[in-house]
Amino acid sequence: MHISFLIHNAYGIGGTIRTTYNLANTLAQQHDVEIVSVFRHRDEPVFAPDPRVRLSHLVDTRKDSPGYEGEAPEHLRPARTFPSAEGRYAQYSALTDRRIAAHLAALDADVVVGTRPGLNVHIARQTARGPLRVGQEHLTLDSHSKELRRQLRSVYPRLDVLTTTTEADARAYSRKMRLPGVHVQALPNPVPAPGIEPADGSHKWVVAAGRLAPVKRYDLLIRAFDKVRRERPDWRLRIYGSGRQKEKLRALIDELGLYNHVFLMGAAHPIEPEWAKGSIAAVTSSLESFGMTIVEAMRCGLPVVATDCPHGPGEIIANGVDGRLVEVGNPDAIASGLLELINDDSLRHRMADAALQDSERFDPVRIAERYDAMFTGMITQGSSLGGRLRGSLHRTRGALLGGAYAVRDLGRVQTKGSTA
Amino acid sequence: MTPLATSRAASHAGDDSKAATAPRADCVADSAGGLTFDVTDPGGAGAKDTVHLLLRRRDADSAEDYVRLPLSPSADGRLRAALPSSVELAEGRWNAYAQVAGGEPRRLMPGVNDLRSLVDRAPSGSRGHVAVRIPYATKQGNLSVRSWLRAPHAEAGELGLAGAALTVHGRLYGTALTEAAYAEAVRRAEPGLVRRAEVTAEGPEFTFGLDQGPLADSGPGPWDLWLLPAGESGPRVRVARLLDDVADKKTIFTYPVVRRETPHGAVEVGPYYTNDNDLAVRVRRAGAGTETSTEGSTES
Repeated sequence: MHISFLIHNAYGIGGTIRTTYNLANTLAQQHDVEIVSVFRHRDEPVFAPDPRVRLSHLVDTRKDSPGYEGEAPEHLRPARTFPSAEGRYAQYSALTDRRIAAHLAALDADVVVGTRPGLNVHIARQTARGPLRVGQEHLTLDSHSKELRRQLRSVYPRLDVLTTTTEADARAYSRKMRLPGVHVQALPNPVPAPGIEPADGSHKWVVAAGRLAPVKRYDLLIRAFDKVRRERPDWRLRIYGSGRQKEKLRALIDELGLYNHVFLMGAAHPIEPEWAKGSIAAVTSSLESFGMTIVEAMRCGLPVVATDCPHGPGEIIANGVDGRLVEVGNPDAIASGLLELINDDSLRHRMADAALQDSERFDPVRIAERYDAMFTGMITQGSSLGGRLRGSLHRTRGALLGGAYAVRDLGRVQTKGSTA
Repeated sequence: MTPLATSRAASHAGDDSKAATAPRADCVADSAGGLTFDVTDPGGAGAKDTVHLLLRRRDADSAEDYVRLPLSPSADGRLRAALPSSVELAEGRWNAYAQVAGGEPRRLMPGVNDLRSLVDRAPSGSRGHVAVRIPYATKQGNLSVRSWLRAPHAEAGELGLAGAALTVHGRLYGTALTEAAYAEAVRRAEPGLVRRAEVTAEGPEFTFGLDQGPLADSGPGPWDLWLLPAGESGPRVRVARLLDDVADKKTIFTYPVVRRETPHGAVEVGPYYTNDNDLAVRVRRAGAGTETSTEGSTES
């Protein structure tokens, strides 16, 4: 199969970018994969694509590049195709409209995958007859503004597939968006195995990691830890990440006299060795569209105490088996969850083992298999019905090339891959 | 070989071309203070070439400030070098390079640093000294190793703060506490200005209390903290926090300050860790800022 990803900017840092590379790199073991980046603002991408993945861009925004188009008159005129209620609208333009349209009109692929709402709109409206049109939603429907939902509702029915990162969000799209004929499927983000030994559960540290942003509710975690240290002063908390809340959180730590127990560590790249220094992970968000850090921590052998917020945590954690779900917004509940695992070493070790095992389902190989099976199924369905409206020769060829053997062989080949 | 979206660099500060081609080292620390380096692709090494890991102390001007460790092929195809705790590394910052045969040393980039065995380290102290090596990524995104070598060593633990009263709990390595033990705060700009504090000891554990008020009254400027475990006749031991995985404590181990009106105007006083992770008390004009003020740089 020839699979073409369309992404806002493949040269930056961020969850969607990392996820796309993890998926593309793994699919490239069996398929012809390209990533098309709308923008290019630096020479080399931060994340390393597999050498088999072709990377290209549509608009060059490197100021020192001869192809610089950041100040081209056409780029200064507002976009018309890219939906105006999308969060990135201000960065799009008449130039991106034209370039993306031309790219999609000429695209000779079996599958085209959009990675954000605005690009999904381009794909739904402008892809030439042939490729399977797949839109990915990395955020939740609830997090979209009313206006964006309205704009998407009129266009998304022209997609073949819409993927969400959680079942709950898939249900929300099916229920609220009316998408007849669109295959809506939840496919979690892939998270690779860490390149280090898992934690051994002996260190008396709780670890949290993420942007220091209000939605992460680290204020609650710090308040909860005030209760924890009263009962177990031998345990301490590390919070990794940077962000605007830092001074506020610092002040709260000082106010509660937690400066011997709670530490703001700053950002860490890579984060895996930092998880491995802890024995319990904590996630206290009010909202997690997926919950990438939960999976990361579990893959490092940490049971996670997480708020049961929409949507991710409840679909990742088997409550009481490989982690603990606690009430949202309640520091007492968070403290109880942490103390349960702190005070019972054998329970903690049991949950840690379960977390390692249960999180294997998020391995890029397993997630790529699910994408592969879905693509193949949709394409085969399209051609076996004598060609659905958008069916084509390309798609039939893709089915023959990308069919039966790919799904079966993927796992075997992939397990050799190093995680370094 | 790797299908995964690993970051090209631990830090994104390095320029792009360097990030794409520079050799990279993963480091694993053992609890005894030893380090193992696994180097990926040192560049241009033939099968018969000897390859070395070179550690060069920053601003070094003598030959003793180089350490060369042989890099040998390991099972996974990378090159491995060991820096055992028995190899002495003078206190300071050591830049890490890979050197093929007699060629130019190439600066190493940091890969994955697995420092879990350094967390909450409690060495025996039986050798009479404490050796600490923490690999870290520099601001430029390169790999360096921070080294401390202290004999004896007074490790700071929890700090207690109640108003201007500071209580320091810690553990002494490499010598014993006696009845004559005391601690002192020395004004860095005027080493003759000393404030003494009583020490209570329980085995190697020590505690001393220090009223920061009189320190503040002397006006802006830092005070360094020392432990004299055997009184005036014995060694002076710098109080420091070294026994974990955090290379730079200053911005992570931070403590509240107390505001105080003094003959020099309003000041803020509170404990902090210096750039060398030594414990000190900072006195500065109220509202002078927190971390990056110009005064901060003179407080290293």
